[in-house]
Amino acid sequence: MIELNGLTKEFSNGKGIFDVRFSIPKGEVFGFLGPNGAGKSTTIRHLMGFMKPTSGSASIFGMDTWKDAAKIQERVGYLPGEIAFLDGMDGIEFLKLIGGMRGLKQTNYRDELIQRLQLDVKTPIRKMSKGMKQKVGIVAAFMHQPEVVILDEPTSGLDPLMQRIFIDIVSELKDKGTTFLMSSHSFSEIERTCDRAAIIKDGKIVVVENIHALQQKQRRLFEVTFSSAEEAQQVRNHLNVISVSDNRAEIAVQGDYNQFIQVLGAYEILNIDLHEQHLEDVFLNYYDREAQI
Amino acid sequence: MNMTLYFKMLKVHAKSISSYAIGSALYLLLIIGIYPSVADAPGLNELMDSMPDSFLAAFGMEGGFQHVSDFIAGEYYGLLYIVILSIFSLMTSSQLMARLIDRGSMAYILATPNSRKKVAFTQSLVLITGLLIIALTTMLAGVIGTELLIDNKPFEAMTFIKVNLVGLLLFYAISAYSFLFSSLLNDERQALGISGLITIVFYGMDLIGKMSDKLDWLVNLSLFATFRPVEIARGSVEIWPSVTFLFILGTALYALGIILFSKRDLPL
Repeated sequence: MIELNGLTKEFSNGKGIFDVRFSIPKGEVFGFLGPNGAGKSTTIRHLMGFMKPTSGSASIFGMDTWKDAAKIQERVGYLPGEIAFLDGMDGIEFLKLIGGMRGLKQTNYRDELIQRLQLDVKTPIRKMSKGMKQKVGIVAAFMHQPEVVILDEPTSGLDPLMQRIFIDIVSELKDKGTTFLMSSHSFSEIERTCDRAAIIKDGKIVVVENIHALQQKQRRLFEVTFSSAEEAQQVRNHLNVISVSDNRAEIAVQGDYNQFIQVLGAYEILNIDLHEQHLEDVFLNYYDREAQI
Repeated sequence: MNMTLYFKMLKVHAKSISSYAIGSALYLLLIIGIYPSVADAPGLNELMDSMPDSFLAAFGMEGGFQHVSDFIAGEYYGLLYIVILSIFSLMTSSQLMARLIDRGSMAYILATPNSRKKVAFTQSLVLITGLLIIALTTMLAGVIGTELLIDNKPFEAMTFIKVNLVGLLLFYAISAYSFLFSSLLNDERQALGISGLITIVFYGMDLIGKMSDKLDWLVNLSLFATFRPVEIARGSVEIWPSVTFLFILGTALYALGIILFSKRDLPL
């Protein structure tokens, strides 16, 4: 459904995206991971026909994303990363504008989405919170039941409950054969929904991998509180301990959760915390390997 | 064009269009309202004689006012009309394109199956429609106002309409270059600044050129040279060269803006 063939865009400051290639078959949910500024949005702008590649090409439904942008949009839904609606209207007026510009006649699905996301569409857009705007954007991207959906950081600004509802909607549509491309800077945001993911760094694709394989490779940091400082020191021999302060130890785990649990099982543990980490730290090996080259 | 976008955008800008239209019409009625007292004032022509010719020429007042249409042309179309329509053209054009690009809302519009050409063309029509509404309201206020407020003074409706026609076309051209910059730039304030600067420079060249004998060549370089309200009202100038020139220039600039917008990279 979506093909990127050596997509390259070089900006005058030397940054950009370079030889980006991957393809997404019909019905797949594909994650596009990278820290901020790595080139996710630039890649997506090319898919939407907002930018012309310096070289290479991208296609959706076999059509060129630059030349046939308007035709492709008939069957694509898009959620921009930056939420900026038009001034001077409320939520439903905005959705009617976008629906009208699409020639959308059936509004059942739009209304169903509004209800499921518990969106108050009568609120003027300028008074909306970030999360509310995100909901309006999600309805605008899904209401015409597109075959391909491109989402730039879709769950940012949504509270956990709404993230669940969003994931449910994505799974339903996936079962109906909808293809997704979803960008994010956080692995945990996409691991529940995606089948495969690409990781981009400094404009280059580092890896395209099955999501389970990535889950195995991710490095997680647990902060474990032991009953005494000695115990915290003792686990150094068995586990990858990053640092110890008093009775707390920071322990890195990559794939081998069994060993982690077995070692800790012998101690009295007061608390375990999972540290939120940057993508670069989660996939240290990809980012390191690239650095060594 | 896309009808949904067109009507929504007109609705969003309806408030500003109607306030400019009403403001312009009321100002014109005010000018018409004071005409009888000015025309009958005995000292006025002496006062005019005492002023330097170059100053009078700059504001189109040389030779005094014979008719109400001269008076309106000089007093209203020579300055206030230009100010009101310039502000409208500059502000609205920068809001219709550059603001949407600047803030990113253009992404939603372009994510619908409408080509960029279609979207830009629709936005340009919104701007032109706004200009038409303001210019026609002003003209109508002038025709009706003189009818009601002025007794026994010769008012030439035809020359008054000609003044309005050339005025409208002047702003068709001014709004066209504003729209061009608005389509080309990613920053709303930058777009507004550049087209504002060009307009001020044109107007300044016109004013200085008319006041100074040595710099009179400046007049011909200014777009405002095509619009001489007092001379049109007196019937001393043929309007068709200006009409043709402004129409072609405006159309070409609008077309250029739409084409360049459809070919450029957008930071959305």
